[in-house]
Amino acid sequence: MKILRMAWRNLWRNGRRTLVTVAAMTLALWSMVLYTSLMEGMLGSMETTLLDVELGEIQVHADGYRERPSIWERIEDPDALLRALDETGLRSTARLLGGALVASGDVSTGALLKGLRPERDALVSEVHQRLDRGEWLDPADAKGVVLGYRLARTLAVEVGDELVALSQATDGSMANDLFRVRGVLQSLSEETDRATVFLLEDEFRGFFALEDGAHRVIVRSSEGQDLAAAAGLVEQAAAMSAPGVEVRSWRDLLPGLANVFDSAQAAVQVVAFVVYVVIAILILNAMLTAVFERIREFGVLKAIGVSPRRVLALILVEGALQSALAIGIGLVASLPALWFVTTRGIDVGGLGGTAIMGVAMDQIWTGAVSPLTIAGPVFILLFVAGVAVLFPAIKAARINPIEAIHHQ
Amino acid sequence: MGAEPIISLRDVTKVYRQGSVDVHALRGLTMDVEAGEFTAICGPSGSGKTTMLNLIGALDAMTSGSIVLEGRELASLNKKELSELRRDRIGFVFQAYNLMPVLTAYENAEMVLWVQGVDGPSRRERVMGLLEQVGLKGMENRRPSELSGGQQQRVAIARAIASNPVVVLADEPTANVDSETAETLLDLMEELNREQGVTFVFSTHDPQVMERARRVVRLVDGRVASDERR
Repeated sequence: MKILRMAWRNLWRNGRRTLVTVAAMTLALWSMVLYTSLMEGMLGSMETTLLDVELGEIQVHADGYRERPSIWERIEDPDALLRALDETGLRSTARLLGGALVASGDVSTGALLKGLRPERDALVSEVHQRLDRGEWLDPADAKGVVLGYRLARTLAVEVGDELVALSQATDGSMANDLFRVRGVLQSLSEETDRATVFLLEDEFRGFFALEDGAHRVIVRSSEGQDLAAAAGLVEQAAAMSAPGVEVRSWRDLLPGLANVFDSAQAAVQVVAFVVYVVIAILILNAMLTAVFERIREFGVLKAIGVSPRRVLALILVEGALQSALAIGIGLVASLPALWFVTTRGIDVGGLGGTAIMGVAMDQIWTGAVSPLTIAGPVFILLFVAGVAVLFPAIKAARINPIEAIHHQ
Repeated sequence: MGAEPIISLRDVTKVYRQGSVDVHALRGLTMDVEAGEFTAICGPSGSGKTTMLNLIGALDAMTSGSIVLEGRELASLNKKELSELRRDRIGFVFQAYNLMPVLTAYENAEMVLWVQGVDGPSRRERVMGLLEQVGLKGMENRRPSELSGGQQQRVAIARAIASNPVVVLADEPTANVDSETAETLLDLMEELNREQGVTFVFSTHDPQVMERARRVVRLVDGRVASDERR
């Protein structure tokens, strides 16, 4: 108790220095909490876009399809596979993929047509919720298609406009049809934005004269389910119902992006560490100065029999009090900022659909809050402050009383 | 007097290394201090007064010889034992008072008792009594900056005797106060010595202290040049 009282009073002997140190620690904590929240929000939103909208956790293709995508390389009986997956409790949907030339007016461009069943697909993908304008596919509107936003811009089409698609059907005939733009998507990913046309499965089959099969089955694992375990279940289901397919997790499909997610957390910690090293130097300087100014006092304490351990504790408690102040103020100051970034977010629409490794960021960059958002910066601050204060504390504890008392 | 000495120095030498030069601060000093003495160690600057107090106070280690305090050879004690010896058996009064500026008069006087682990009520009773004894009743809550030099030195004396030490070592205790204040401080220490049997050993240049001391030991070049008992 006496150490605590002494430490507290010592802090305010040079109130300005203490305030500057605490303010710097507070600012560092505040900015790191906010930065962590924004990074978690960005990564979370990218992961959502990637998994919930685009990839799913696991994909099944016919052997060889991924190396050489072709309308003919397909899973023979996707419905059997979907039924087997239903039995495992995993949500899944089948998609048909085929290249085509799409045109409107005088403009034409290559596109990837993706055929799907809206009801089944909605269990797996949130793409139907990511419309910028217009409406999602509806079986009642057989010729309605939904486009990526860049493709719509390239073709200069808007909702309600007509779109011609040309390709080669599987029976060797010329495939061509007239569709109507039903909706335009938000920015999702490079591939979807630039060259994707979603249409109903039946229309796709009709267009390409493809009676059966599917090119891709997208599978979603349950919340918190281990990816490898889920992939194992899919492999088992596929082995029984759809031989000749390959099962890949999204990490296998996009290893570069998986690395980005993995290293992003480390990057947050590296930035936090760099910020905190600066703070550590400030604390070290402040505490060394404080120890140097009070060198005679430590000498007297040692002379009258105060143990080195108690002197060490005194300095450590001074550091701990400053940290506690900074954490208290920093966390209170973080609350409104966190509220702002999690509820309102930062409008990054001006960046024009920024994408990282092909995955688009949301137009409104919102933060996320998890226990790590607070605990991470707090623990790193405590660690750094502890390390920074240890050296002056040891110096004070080891002081030679005679030299200290006669220190000028 | 004539009892077993509480402090015994035999052929004590202390050599400091200053750069490449050996400085002989004490050269075979021998003397005893008995319980209840009021002793002034005087001598010119560099004669070894402060060095001698530092060695008796277990703040520094001698180069050779023997110092025995209450039957314990200081050279045989480790750092922790020396620290406990200072805490329990020796009181220090410094020239510059050296009070903790963030603590009140009460808290400064209480410090040693707290370090000793004395319980709160006992500390309070002892410290309040001490502060009254040194004439600081009613000033318990003042910090050093709110006290005069003489009052600060009184707090330092209260701190030094709080643990009932075997000896109080006072290094030039009147050097920083005017002669009138010095007189009152000496009155106080003399009273403590007379009435409570507190043993005082001063290092001093101050003729006032030498006049009031009942024993004056003069050091010259690290040796006892004269030892006068009154």
